[in-house]
Amino acid sequence: MTHDVIAWFRDPDHWRGAGGVPTLLGQHALLTLVSMVLATAVGLPLALWLGHRRRGGTFAVNLTNVGRAIPIVALLSVLSLGLFGTAELGPFGRSGLATLVTLALFALPPIVTNTYTGMTEVDADVVEAARGMGMGELELLRRVELPLAMPLIVSGIRLAVVQVWATATIAALVAGPGLGRIIVHGYESFQTAEVVAGSLIVAVVALFLELTLALVQKLMDPLPAGSR
Amino acid sequence: MHTSLVRRTLVALVAIPLMFTAACGGGGGKVVIVGQKFTEADIMTQLYKAVLDNAGYDTSVKNLGARDIYLSPLMKGDVTISADYLSSMTEALNRKANGDSAPKVASADEQATLTQLNKLAKKDGLTALEPAKAEDANAFAVTQKFAQDNHLTTLSDLGASGLSVKLGGNSDCPQRADCQKGLEDTYGIKVSGFEPTGFGSQATKDDLVHGVTQIGSVGTTDATLDKLGLVILADDKHLQNAENLVPIVNSDWLKDNAKAKKALDKLSAVLTTADLTAMIGKVDLDRQKAADVAKAYLKDKGLI
Amino acid sequence: MLASVAPASSDNCLTRNDWICGKYYSSRAGDLTDALVQHVGIVVVSVLLGLAVAVPLALLARRYRKLEGVIVGTTTALYTIPSLALFSLLVPVTGLGVTTVVIGLGLYSLTILVRNILEGLRAVPADVRESALGMGYAARRMLWRVEVPLALPAIMAGLRVATVSTVALTTVGAILDYGGLGDLLVDGTRTNFKAQVLATSVLCVLLAVVLDLLLVGLQRLLTPWTRTEAAR
Repeated sequence: MTHDVIAWFRDPDHWRGAGGVPTLLGQHALLTLVSMVLATAVGLPLALWLGHRRRGGTFAVNLTNVGRAIPIVALLSVLSLGLFGTAELGPFGRSGLATLVTLALFALPPIVTNTYTGMTEVDADVVEAARGMGMGELELLRRVELPLAMPLIVSGIRLAVVQVWATATIAALVAGPGLGRIIVHGYESFQTAEVVAGSLIVAVVALFLELTLALVQKLMDPLPAGSR
Repeated sequence: MHTSLVRRTLVALVAIPLMFTAACGGGGGKVVIVGQKFTEADIMTQLYKAVLDNAGYDTSVKNLGARDIYLSPLMKGDVTISADYLSSMTEALNRKANGDSAPKVASADEQATLTQLNKLAKKDGLTALEPAKAEDANAFAVTQKFAQDNHLTTLSDLGASGLSVKLGGNSDCPQRADCQKGLEDTYGIKVSGFEPTGFGSQATKDDLVHGVTQIGSVGTTDATLDKLGLVILADDKHLQNAENLVPIVNSDWLKDNAKAKKALDKLSAVLTTADLTAMIGKVDLDRQKAADVAKAYLKDKGLI
Repeated sequence: MLASVAPASSDNCLTRNDWICGKYYSSRAGDLTDALVQHVGIVVVSVLLGLAVAVPLALLARRYRKLEGVIVGTTTALYTIPSLALFSLLVPVTGLGVTTVVIGLGLYSLTILVRNILEGLRAVPADVRESALGMGYAARRMLWRVEVPLALPAIMAGLRVATVSTVALTTVGAILDYGGLGDLLVDGTRTNFKAQVLATSVLCVLLAVVLDLLLVGLQRLLTPWTRTEAAR
C-alpha cells in the first residue's frame, strides 16, 4: 500500500497538465480563498457591528451555528441541481457558484461566533474609558475593540480556513475543480493508493495552514501570553 | 402521533446500548443481506429478503456505501449474502487478490466471466449462485431527438455519422477501455470533450437534456431515461462487461442451506432486465418503497 | 415502454416530485421517526465519546506544551480524512455496525472540541491560577475547582458547535446504513426526491436547534454565575 502511494507521488504524470497536482492545488486554494473572502466580507462587518452594539448578536450567532446542521453535501447538491445551476464559473468550474456559496456558508459560523464573542469580551470599562476620552464610535472600534478582539477573530478565521480547505474536496462531487478530483477519481477507478495520495495532500496542506495561522494568531495578540 | 413519538424515543434510548451489543454479536442462524446504496441494490436486497423470509429464514438487510466495505465481512461470514453484479464483483475480487492494477478478467461473455468469478470467489470462501437474466450493464444514452435527427440506434451508427460529441460519465471514463477510449477506438466516435459528472447520475442526465453533453454514461436499467426523453444506443460491438445480477454467498453458510440456494435460483431464473427496470421506475418515479415493490413483484410471479 | 410502469392514475405530489408533499409525510411518517430517533442516538453517543477523548487530550496538550502542536495537528488531520476512507479503515476492526459510525463521528468532533477546551483553559487568567496556588490548591484540585469552571463557557461553546456539526456529519453514516436521517437524505439527493431532501434537511436543522437549546440550558445550570451577564 505505502509502496503504491509513493509510486503515485513519483509518477511525473500526476504533476503536470490540467489534472496535475499543482493545477488542482491552485484551484483548491482559489476555491478556499474566494469562499473565505465571501464569508468574511459578509460575516465580519455584521459581527463587528453587532458586537460593537453589544446586542442582537446572540441571535446571529445561533442562526449561523444552527446552519451547520445542514449536511453540506446535500446543500451543494440541491444548490447545483436547482437554485444556482451547474454552469461553469471561470476558475471555479462547473457548478462554481453553488460550490462557492456552499463553502462560504460553511465558513460563516466560526467567523461570526468568534468575532461577536471577541467583541463582547472586550472589557466594558475599557470601552467606557475610551468614550470618556472623547473617542468616536468608529475610532473606538478601530483602535480599542478590534485590536483586543483580534486573537479570537483570527482564531475563528483559522478554524474556518482549515475546515473550508478540508471540505472544498466536495467540489469534485459536482464535477468541479480542486484536489477532490484526485480522491473521486481514485474511488471511481478503485485505485486506493490514489485516494490515499489525494487525502494526504489535503491533510498536509491543512496542517500547514493550521500551524501558519496559529503563528499569525500569536503575533496578533496585543497582550503577550505572560501578561494575562 | 405524539404518544407514538414519545414511545419511540423511549424505546430508542433503551435501544441505543442494544445497537452496540447487537453490532458485536455474531449472527446465530440469522441471514444478513447486503447491497450497495442505490435503488437497484435496494430492490435486489429486498427481493432476496422476501424469498428467504418466505423460505423460513430470519433476515436483515443493510445497504452500504461501497462494495469494499462488505467484502471482508462477507468472507468472514458476518454478512451472508450480497446482491451483486457479475463483472464488477469479479473485478473487485481480482483487485483484492492481484492488486489495484491487476489485468482485467471480466468480459462481455457471461459464462466466461462467471467461471472467472467462481475461481476467484472460491479462494475467498465465497460462492456465486446462478446469475439472473436481468442485467444492469453500462450503456450510453443520447436524447431521443438527437437519435432521430441523426438516425442513430447503435453506437456504431454514431461512429459512422462522424458527429463530434461531448461525453459525461465517471471521472475515470476517459482512460477506460469500456468508456471513452472504447467509444473512440472500437466505435470510431469523435469525443470532443468530457464532463466528470458520474455514472448515471442526475447531473449526467441533466447535461444531456440541456445539451451540455450529447452522450452520457448510464445503466441499462435506468427507469428515468424515458421520462427525460433519453434513449440508449445499443452496444452492438459488445464493449461492455456482462453485469447480470448475482447473489454472492458465504460458502460455509451455503453448505447447510441448500434451501436458500433453491429459493434464490428460482428468483434469478425469472427476473428479467425489463422487470427490474419496471420496479426501479416504481421506486424512482412513483416513489413507492422498495420493499413493497419487491413483495408485489414476487407475489405476482408466484415466488412467495 | 414506461407507460406500463407508471400508470396515468398515479399523478400526485410524489410522482410530480414536489418539494412539499403531504402524501410523502403520511406515507413515510414511520420511516422519518425511526431515522430521527437513530440520528439523535448517534449524535449524542458520538459527541459524548468525542468529549471523553478530547478532555484528556486537551489537558495533555496544556500540560506538555510540546505536545500541543502534535495533538491539535493530529485532530486537524483527522478531519481531512474522507468519510468513506475512514469507515473502510475502521470496518475490519469494529465491524459493520453503528459502533464504527460512532467512532468515526467521535474522531471528527475532536477538531472542534480539543481546540475549544484548550482555548477555554488558556483563557483562565494567570493571576487567578496563581492565587489558587497561593491558597494551597493542589494541581488536580485547582483544575476541577478553579480552571474547569472558568473554562466551562468556552468548553460548552465548543460542545454546542460540535453537537450541531455532528448532526450534519451523521449523514455520512449512510455509508454503513447507520446515517439516521442521512440514509433518507442520501437516497433523496441521489434519486432527486425533493420532498425527501427537504423533509430530512429541515428535520436535521430542527434537531440541531433542540439539542443546541438543551445545551444552552445545561450551560446555565452549570455556570449560574454567568447568568446575570447573559441576561443583559
